[in-house]
Amino acid sequence: MAAAPVRLIRGPASRAFVQHQRRAPVNARIPNRMSADSLIHVQELSKHFRTFKRREGVWGSIQNLFVRDYRTVAAVDRVGFTIERGEMVGYIGPNGAGKSTTIKMLTGILVPTSGEIRINGYVPYRQRRQYVKTIGVVFGQRTQLWWDIAVIESFKLLRRIYDVSQRDFDARMEHFDAILNIRDYLHTPVRKLSLGERMRCDLAAALLHNPPLLFLDEPTIGLDVVAKDHIRQFLRAINREFRTTVLLTTHDLDDIEELCRRIMIIDHGKVLYDGHLAQLKQQLLRTKQIKFALKDRTQAGCLDAFSRDGLEVDQVDELTYRIRFDRVKVSTSGLIRKILDAVDVRDLLIEDEPIEEIIKRIYAGEAHLEVSV
Amino acid sequence: MSSWVQALVPYAEFSRVGFVNILAFRLRYFTGIITYFLNVTVYYFIWSAVYRGGISIAGYNLAQMITYVSVGWMIRSFYWNTIDQEMAYEVIEGKIAMDLIKPVSVQWMWISRAIGESAFRLGLLTLPTAVVVALVFPVQGPVSRENFLLFLVAVLGSFFLMAAINFMIGTCAIPLKSILALIRAKYWLIELLSGLLIPMSFFPDRVQKVLAWLPFEHIAYTPLQIYLGKLDRAATLRALGIQWLWVIALLWLAHLWWERAARKITIHGG
Repeated sequence: MAAAPVRLIRGPASRAFVQHQRRAPVNARIPNRMSADSLIHVQELSKHFRTFKRREGVWGSIQNLFVRDYRTVAAVDRVGFTIERGEMVGYIGPNGAGKSTTIKMLTGILVPTSGEIRINGYVPYRQRRQYVKTIGVVFGQRTQLWWDIAVIESFKLLRRIYDVSQRDFDARMEHFDAILNIRDYLHTPVRKLSLGERMRCDLAAALLHNPPLLFLDEPTIGLDVVAKDHIRQFLRAINREFRTTVLLTTHDLDDIEELCRRIMIIDHGKVLYDGHLAQLKQQLLRTKQIKFALKDRTQAGCLDAFSRDGLEVDQVDELTYRIRFDRVKVSTSGLIRKILDAVDVRDLLIEDEPIEEIIKRIYAGEAHLEVSV
Repeated sequence: MSSWVQALVPYAEFSRVGFVNILAFRLRYFTGIITYFLNVTVYYFIWSAVYRGGISIAGYNLAQMITYVSVGWMIRSFYWNTIDQEMAYEVIEGKIAMDLIKPVSVQWMWISRAIGESAFRLGLLTLPTAVVVALVFPVQGPVSRENFLLFLVAVLGSFFLMAAINFMIGTCAIPLKSILALIRAKYWLIELLSGLLIPMSFFPDRVQKVLAWLPFEHIAYTPLQIYLGKLDRAATLRALGIQWLWVIALLWLAHLWWERAARKITIHGG
């Protein structure tokens, strides 16, 4: 996997600015990355929906019958990226950012308003039937299994549809069962499964034909910790063994941290960031915090000096304090030394700002992403 | 295995799952037997009352009319399907997306499922009801073995006509979202214009001429006329030919209509 040159794109606060700038920032990287080997190649992809504004009240409803104010909403707005074989990419963004719409265009369900998609040599919406044989799809909120009949019946159906030999089928079922533990409920109707059980079955169903590419739309939504862990383990395993390329959307940033080296952040239909997670952290992880517990309460007064120096000091509980600081302006080791000099410390912990906080700041337009490489 | 047989395998599998899926709702079919039996009973009394004065109306005597109504409802229990309702539900729920990620024709997937369901209805609804109805009411047998075989071919045609029409109605859910009214309108239109409620020869001459240009009367009227031996050999084959031309035409139209609508699919949320 070639090290992706990281381009940071301006935050959503400057959305209007981006619109004026015809050369969308992401596309700038395509010329030097476009290789015949790229599995997914997306350029200037847009999807517009036409909606009409409903008027309120009785009179408004009657008006709605005759006159409609149509508006065009760009759910996805000139998005571009390439994904190489074997990558696991996290596609994140707040609700309504355009994640699902993008996935639905990539899976051939929706026809784009404009732009170009080439995946594995196919144009998804034009060659749907051939193309979908080469992908697996899991939508966390829906199931592709038949609701009222035993799971195994759906699997048998899929085996025939994708023309998987009985031998491959058996081998894969064994393999899936080893991590996902699905054997026990293969003979249960889907409607009687818990969400976690159903999700594991759906994942197995999507991979029965061993596709080189897997799309996951919120695969861990609503799952408990154990189920999440099973699913992550499984995804890592198939990525390692079959070099399956995975593109997943999620709201759970643990998914991203555990699975993806590369992330794309999208909001208002535009890609705000496309690069390595580690680099995003490095760029934006400015706030660190030191948590420490005092030996006894009497020393608390000594901490006033830190407040006077402009550091943020909070009391977490009776003996525990937290100091938040900007790692660029304040040296971490210097600060620790100062703390140790000032008070008797029983326990001390240095923490990074959680990734959630960074993402939140990006969505809110506070994080200033500067163009750099 | 030749490649076109290979291509049919997935669809046969959809039929199988359609069949298995219905098994989950066995009870509905036992109540179905009662429903269809009641329908026949109601029409039996209506026509008995109507025929009290005369011997023959529009070419049908009472015995033929009873047979017409009974066999009519029997075959309806076979060719009827709910593709339109199921599609409407899937569109509203956004489940239609899951059909599009499968490497099959969406139209033939739905029709294959309906085939599986109709095979199930044939065994658990049509045949048992036919036995009960034949025991209770004076139903005539088919006029000849040849007529009966041609009748079966025509009933198969009825199934495909109904499937194509329902698939087209179901597809309307993509642009319209709610098609409940459309489904109701279709229901009554088909009951009336297919000749299920009254034979086409009961309609005024001019109306008959117009309706002869539409596909609907081939759903019930054509197979029933063949069953009763109302047509001579040449007319029977001609009617069958026209019916199957309609089958091909409607399946093709449904295909085009779907291709057009599928480009405009919008699935919001989730």
